[in-house]
This record gives sequence, structure tokens and C-alpha cells, in this order.
Amino acid sequence: MNGLNLIDDQEKFRHGMEIFLNPPDFSVGKTPSEIIFQEDKMKLIHYIPTVEKPHPVPILIVYALVNRYYILDLQPDKSMIKKLLDEGFDVYVIDWGYPSGVDRYLTLDDYVNGYINNAVDKIRERSRLDKITLLGVCQGGTFSIMYAALHPEKVKNLVTLVAPVDFDTDKGLLHLWAKSLDVDKIVDYYGIVPGDFLNAGFLLTDPFRLMIDKYVGLFDRIECEPNDTACSIRNEETIKNFLRMEKWIFDSPDQAGETFRQFMKDCYQKNLLIKNELKLNGKKINLKNINMPLLNVMAEFDHLVPNDASKPLTEAVSSSDKETLVFPTGHIGIFVGSKSQKEVCPRIAEWLKPRSHVDGTNEKKPDLAKKKTHEQKRKNRKSKVNIK
Amino acid sequence: MEKSSFESTQEFFDMWLKVYNATTGRLVEMPALGPTREKSDKMMKGFSTFANLFAAGMDTSSNLQSVFMEAMRKVHEKTATDMEGEISPEKCKDFYKIWIETYSETFKDFLKSGHFASDMGKLNSYLMDFQKYNREMLEENYLKSMNLPTKTEIDEINKELYSLKKTVKELTSQIKELKEKK
Repeated sequence: MNGLNLIDDQEKFRHGMEIFLNPPDFSVGKTPSEIIFQEDKMKLIHYIPTVEKPHPVPILIVYALVNRYYILDLQPDKSMIKKLLDEGFDVYVIDWGYPSGVDRYLTLDDYVNGYINNAVDKIRERSRLDKITLLGVCQGGTFSIMYAALHPEKVKNLVTLVAPVDFDTDKGLLHLWAKSLDVDKIVDYYGIVPGDFLNAGFLLTDPFRLMIDKYVGLFDRIECEPNDTACSIRNEETIKNFLRMEKWIFDSPDQAGETFRQFMKDCYQKNLLIKNELKLNGKKINLKNINMPLLNVMAEFDHLVPNDASKPLTEAVSSSDKETLVFPTGHIGIFVGSKSQKEVCPRIAEWLKPRSHVDGTNEKKPDLAKKKTHEQKRKNRKSKVNIK
Repeated sequence: MEKSSFESTQEFFDMWLKVYNATTGRLVEMPALGPTREKSDKMMKGFSTFANLFAAGMDTSSNLQSVFMEAMRKVHEKTATDMEGEISPEKCKDFYKIWIETYSETFKDFLKSGHFASDMGKLNSYLMDFQKYNREMLEENYLKSMNLPTKTEIDEINKELYSLKKTVKELTSQIKELKEKK
């Protein structure tokens, strides 16, 4: 029995290694899209709608500067973006790119009142609407909150996904550690703060599981049924899914130094945003200016952005139409976990649909009869966005 | 947490640091004299920068070792009886599970402590001082004398470029607004 187990483990490892030696295609971000606007390293990506007549109000997704936006489009069956398209929305995403030395002096104001504002204006121009929906994710959610407070006239709905707004919590390790960091010294030395430096912090939140157990667990999931094609396919999928996540986790852009400095000091250390004391280019951000419908979504087991950091937003705004949703999942699971496609996306879509029509008109539901033809057309187009 | 043997290492190191600060440390901090005093002054500062980093590194390392010892002790307690007798793959797997769970939990408690946060903050701060010092020395004593561009100069250009780009963006936006008004 013991000998058989040992052979079984070796077989699992051998099967896994065979797949690694002939690596399958594990490319990410495959939903067809086009770049419609570019400013410096920021690109505004438009996803090709999958319905003939999408809901009139488009959605702009603002992702964090840490890691890359394609976690929202990791693979066809784990894609928030695809799900939103299929629900009949017109979806745009900001790709921040990879900042380099020349970007070290970019400030939080440049990101919020510069890049995000220009992206919003571009979409307003294309859709001929005054207001669009802003969906901010994680740090991108914090940016979206800042933007919505400064430009409420351009935001029809605000959806925040695992976005921190009250940083004075000791529930998350990052919040705890950030208070002891000498941010000035880090920025003064690096200029552009290396993504690896931040990644080291994320890995340190659970070092043994993230650096050892994760890899041991991968080979443990490999099945060994000789001459079973279905089993081989499952194994390949397991490895592909793992590699996609692995790619995303370690694809960490460096951070523009001045933005990092202000975000860490004003948000993590002084907690100015929730106190309505944070200033961008001398202008105070008052969360009470947020008067549009708000959906505040969070993950119950979020170890990076604890609920205590996200929940206070709902109370801090002046919107009369506001809702908080908490899903029993984690910070990453909310995008790629099983609940993401089955619960999170449908609930967000359900909330957005009645709020995604132009004021004074009735809601227009997506023309599902034409959906099939449109999907065929879509398949024929080639994605113009390549993620290496 | 139980007292570990690393505490005596820590005590020894603290004592060494006190002696260093009272003797060699004072010597290297002494103002330099003569035609090369400016350069010498800067170079001597490197000693204290390194001593600070070394002290913080020893402190962090000693604390980490104590947590490792604690985790190891817990694993031993949990597995002492189970791991007796013949070693089998199942036992190895069970041991691995206990090991990973115990180490993860023990370290999580440690990582949550304010002590770890302040230790890491201090270590990081001294590391940045040390790296900055090294770069300054490299620029001062090598790159400048070889007439090569330095990071400081590149940063100055980046700052200028940023400022110019910002001005161009503002002017472009103003021109657009004026055109729209017409």
C-alpha cells in the first residue's frame, strides 16, 4: 500500500512535469478588444460588445496600479469582463501599462484628474452621454471614489469592488505594516518603486502557503489514469489555470514614485480620504459629493482589503440609492473564484441594468435574438490587445 | 513565546553595538581634515550607515530565528508520537500537513505583531539609507570621474520632462477649449 502511494505520487509529478515540458498555451485576456485611446503609457481598451444593442450607459473599469487588469479577463470561463459583455454591457478598461523612470514624478492627481478624467471624457464623447458608470477595482476603486467625488457630473453609477476607503484598520497585514514604512526613503531611493518590492510584501502575508504549499498542491491535483483522454485534458487545464494565475501574480508593474508616496502617506498612514481631508492638486476631496447610485462590493475573507476598510464608504457618501454586497470569498476569489461567475457578476449586472439607461428613457434590454449573429461577427475579429 | 537561545546572541550583539558606538563609531564620526575632507567625511558616514543596517538586520534575524524555533517546537510536540516507527509516504504527507499548518499559523501570529511591523520598518529604512549611500559614492567616486551620466542627473531630466509634458497637456487642453468656444 505504502509503495503504491509512493509510485502514485511519483506518477503525479511525472505527469505534471510532462505538461510543463510541453507547455500549453496559457495566454490571458483573450476577450476581443481594441485600443481606442492612449495617453503616455495608459491605454483605454474597449471590449467588442457581444449584443447588438448594449445597455446605453457604458462601464469604465479602473483597475489598480498594482498587478494587471487582466485578472478580470483571465480566461474565457473566468472572465468578469466577458460576463458583463454577455449581460449586455458596453465595457471599457484602463490599462495603466508599465511605468518607467520617466513616470516617477506622476502624481495621484495625474492619475485621477488626468488619465481617468481623459478616459472618461473619451467614452462620454464616443457614447454621446454626459455620464458613464465607473467600476473601480481595489486601489482602482479608491481612485474611482476620488474621481466620483471630484467629478460627480460625469459619473452615473459608481461600483466599487474590494476598494479600500478607510485605511485605519488593523485587520489586514498590509494596513498594519504600511504604518511603519518610511515611504519617503523608499521613494527617494527607488524613484520608481519596483513591483517586486511590493510583491515581496504580498508574499509575506502568508509566506509558507504562498511560496511552498501552493506548488506542492499543484502536483497533488494531477490525476493519473493511463490512456484516459478526459483525465489528460483535466490535467492540462489544471496546469493552465495555475500558470495563468502565476503569471498574473508575478506580473507586477513598478509604481510611479510620487503617486506611491502620496497614496501610502495620505491614505495608509494618515487616512485622509475617509476624513474628507485628502487633497489632489490643492483641491479637497469630499466624499459627500458622491451623490450617484453606489454599489459597494466586498469579499468577506479579503486578507488584503479587509471589509472594515471598504464598508465605511456606503455611509460616507450622500447617495440615496446605495447598496453594500458582501460575498463569501477572498480578494482574488471575487474575480476568478467559482462564486465570481455564478454570484458576483450576475448581482452587479442585476444592480446596474435598471441604472444603465439614459435619464428620461426606458431601460432597453439587450437584443438577445441578434446575440448569436453578433457573437459570430465578434469571433471573426481579432483581438488587438496583446498581453505578453 | 518561549525563551530561545537566540536571545543570548542578541544580548551579545547589543553589547558589541554599544562598544562599537563608544569606540570605533565615534572615531569614524570625527570631522575629517585637510584638502580631501569633504570626500572623506562622506565616505566615513558609510560606516555608521552600515552599522545601523547591520544592527537592524541582526535584530530582525534574531526575532525570526526565535519564531522558527517556536514553530519547530510546536511541530515536534504535535508529531513526536505519530512519527515513531516505520516511515511511510502517508506519514510523510501527514508530517508535511502538520508542518505547513503549524509554521503558517505561528508566523501569522508573529507577522501580525506590532513588533514585526516596526522591525521591518526599521530594517527597510536603514537598507534604503545604505543603498542611497552606495549609489552616491558610486556616482561621486566613479561615474563622475569617468564623465558618465548619473542617476541623479537622469532624475533631473525626468523631472524636467514631466513638467514640460504637463505644461504641453494643459496648453493643448486650453487650445481645445478655446476652439470649442469659437
